[in-house]
Amino acid sequence: MIKTIAIVEDDFDQRENYADVLVANGYEVQRYGSKDEALEGFRKSLPDLALLDVMLGKDMDGGFDLCLSLRNQSQTLPVIFLTARDSDADRISSQRMLAWDYINKPVNLEFLVARVHSLLQIAEHLEQPEDNNSMHTVGDLELDQRGMSVRWNQDAVNLTLTEFWIVEALARRPGHVKNYESLNEVTRQGLVERNTINGYIRRIRNKFRAVDSVFNQIETVHGTGYKWSRD
Amino acid sequence: MQSRHIAYETEELGEDPTLTLGPRPGLRIRTKLLLLLLSLLTIPYMGYNSVRTMEKFLLEGQMEALKLTSQGIATLLRDRENLFSEQIGAPEFLLPFERFPNELFSAISFEASIVEWSQMLTEIVDYTGGPFFECDLSYVPNSFSVRYGAGVHDNLFYFLFQVIDNILVFRDSSRLSLDHNDQLRLTVEQQDGSTSRYLLTAAEEGRMSVYEMKANWRHTTTGEPIRELVAEIVSSERGYGVKIKALSAFIGQARRITFDVVDVDDSASREIERIISTSPDPSEYQLGRVRLISPELSRLIEPLYLSASRITIWDRDFKLRAETGTIVPDDYDTYLAFSTEAVGWNGFIKKSQKIADRILRSPLIDAAEYPEDSSREDQRFLKQIFETGTSMAERRRYGDVRVIAAGHPVWLEDEVIGSILIKQSGNKILSLQSDTLRRFILLFLGVFLFLTLTIVFFAFRLTYRVTHLQRETKHAATPEGRLRKTYIRSGSRTADEIGDLSRTISQMLKNLSQYTQYLERLPNTLSHEMHNPLNVVNSSLQNLERSHQELRSNEYLGRARNGIVRLQNILTSLTEAGSLKDGLESETEQMENFNLVTLAAGCTQGYQSSNPSYRFIFEIPGYSIYVDGSPDHIAQMLDKLVDNAVAFGEADGEIVVKVWKDGRTAHLSVVNSGSRLPADIANRLFDPMVSSSKDARRSHLGLGLYIVRIIAEFHGGAVTANNRESSNGVEVTITLPLSSKL
Repeated sequence: MIKTIAIVEDDFDQRENYADVLVANGYEVQRYGSKDEALEGFRKSLPDLALLDVMLGKDMDGGFDLCLSLRNQSQTLPVIFLTARDSDADRISSQRMLAWDYINKPVNLEFLVARVHSLLQIAEHLEQPEDNNSMHTVGDLELDQRGMSVRWNQDAVNLTLTEFWIVEALARRPGHVKNYESLNEVTRQGLVERNTINGYIRRIRNKFRAVDSVFNQIETVHGTGYKWSRD
Repeated sequence: MQSRHIAYETEELGEDPTLTLGPRPGLRIRTKLLLLLLSLLTIPYMGYNSVRTMEKFLLEGQMEALKLTSQGIATLLRDRENLFSEQIGAPEFLLPFERFPNELFSAISFEASIVEWSQMLTEIVDYTGGPFFECDLSYVPNSFSVRYGAGVHDNLFYFLFQVIDNILVFRDSSRLSLDHNDQLRLTVEQQDGSTSRYLLTAAEEGRMSVYEMKANWRHTTTGEPIRELVAEIVSSERGYGVKIKALSAFIGQARRITFDVVDVDDSASREIERIISTSPDPSEYQLGRVRLISPELSRLIEPLYLSASRITIWDRDFKLRAETGTIVPDDYDTYLAFSTEAVGWNGFIKKSQKIADRILRSPLIDAAEYPEDSSREDQRFLKQIFETGTSMAERRRYGDVRVIAAGHPVWLEDEVIGSILIKQSGNKILSLQSDTLRRFILLFLGVFLFLTLTIVFFAFRLTYRVTHLQRETKHAATPEGRLRKTYIRSGSRTADEIGDLSRTISQMLKNLSQYTQYLERLPNTLSHEMHNPLNVVNSSLQNLERSHQELRSNEYLGRARNGIVRLQNILTSLTEAGSLKDGLESETEQMENFNLVTLAAGCTQGYQSSNPSYRFIFEIPGYSIYVDGSPDHIAQMLDKLVDNAVAFGEADGEIVVKVWKDGRTAHLSVVNSGSRLPADIANRLFDPMVSSSKDARRSHLGLGLYIVRIIAEFHGGAVTANNRESSNGVEVTITLPLSSKL
């Protein structure tokens, strides 16, 4: 079954570039240049996945509005924000609206396709739950690799795709230091500053601490990277 | 440092380069206000002047009043001839105008010596060299002088002449003429205008012969010796003395008498060489004075009491006919009571008054200071009245004494027969004036003191406020020009100009801070705007590669990719500082206590491998250094320092990373070897967008050290950059406060 991907991007050039690569990878694409167009389109038919720019024309938070509208229609529809905005506030907003991923421009199209692919698989998986094969347990941490879900002490921790990948990479080998270079690869975003990695780790820690205030499983190895501590 | 920086700014803004900042020498507000206060001192001057003018008016008024009074009295006496009758009584005094003979307590024996006489007569007047001295040019000073005394007792007059004369020439008995020797001449002018001349001469010491002479003083009228007058000549060491005793009847009725002492020195030629006369200057004084008190007149003016004044009535012959009152103020003693001892507050008042009196030259002078004798002026004044026949008034001054004189002629039909003369002390007005002045000065001093205190308080308050405002304004920005705060609290709540100034500065700071914020946000906005086209280029290239697999190894495509990476780096570093600030703000709640040594050790491991062309030396101590903060950011800061050291260090050079502590401070420093700090940016090295890099292929926006500064300052530390002392290269040192938890 061919998956439909909605692209909402006010910049024609970018939109067409995204569309081209996705079409080339066998996806069907709905192109929208504005929030109203997109809302109209979503009323007619929901895509399987949505790529949203946050700023749409003069509408500063148009992408967030669209995300909310999509969430109302479907709880499990994967949403990826593609934006030039890189502030914590924006990331937190996207998180609140249950976006699945948040990618900064410029986007590596190759990685974009990979993400889309992963998210569609995860979405698919969510519709066929309780497949224990994909469950992976490290101490109190439970990872559902296919469903991109994480539980800590049985409590669900809501992570974005990138965050999930980082936690997965760290937790796969407890006690082993993941340096910045390898974490960079894990994020699948092309070149990423250490600061960006630090930001991801900080947000991950905060999310874990929200369910367990004494969570201290991710250790900093200053100047090098991070590790999942061995119990 | 500051001035350099400011000089740079002013150049940019094109301001007046001659404008110097910082304190300048000159008057401060406080000094200026106090100087202004000095102008108040003109007030007492003006007050003094107006009081003086007032005094003049008052004296003028007093003069007019006296004039009227004298006129009144004169009118009273008008056309009453009998009042001025000559037969009313014996004239009390005759002799020269100025001097009445002393009333003696007892008779003097004619046989008594010259010395005894002079003691008895007490007042001896010197006539030497006076205006009455007639001599020729051969006169040797002090070779001839006369001292003269007179007295009266019962019906006898006593005269004593002490003559200093180097050569005493007696009469030559063989000669008939009497004018060729030292002699005394007596002129008696009678009431009826007739004049008698008497010559006193001697051939030897002892009794003198007295002859009545003719007007030429050469021949006697009758040759009979005169008996009513006896004289004796006694030679002395330096000249001779003459004692004269005369019956008052002999000269008593005279209106004027004059003695002339005639000096002859050459016994051969016997020429008269000089004459000294007891008479006033004949040209000025026509008449002598005689006091002839008329009882009726006295009775008339007795009840005329005028405060501090003396009323006298004179006849045309300058004889005093009646008098009453004294010129010395009668309340003088009351005033003098001030000087008596007083204690306490009153004493203080008295003393201050006395001081004021001294300063103001109080007119309440001693009674003794009133002129004893003002007959010269009186005579001149009377003469004017007699001559003009009109009333007159004038003001006189004797030292500190002010006297007002007024006079009015007394008429008998169309002839002036006498004059009223009233003299009044002007010192009462003066004392009033000084009292006013004193009060005025006390009042002024009080007002002056009050104003001074007020102005001093005001000046200090003003200065304090301005200084405070200035200090706060100065501290509102760092010497580098970064704003510390966006408002000025000092004086902002007052309504005056200083408050306005304060508010204006606040407004300015606010605008500046908005502008600064705009500038700080500019990189973020810029990077955001550039990300979209960059994304277009990037995704287009990737699509190109995908659709044309054969282009994968195309070198132009490779360069384009490189360019994109560089652009992306630039955008990343542009936003890094901005997002770092946001990040740090959210970090404040999550400050950790961590070991700086461990962190530095961890960080340094990666540096050597990522920068193989540099030799890294790590000087890391064995002890722990705990600081509070965000370890991630400290690591980021260290990364930037090392990046910077690498970027500006020479290849194959060494880079030293040191950590140590002293006191309560942790130090972290990175040293490279290479070029030194360019002097023009040394001060602004840690400001954004400042870089000395000229390498076109490496992007240096100059944000690295800015980030270092932000992180260091966030942790309560500081960063400094210095050229190495020993060799070329730069040492950048971070100081951080140690954790207070240990």
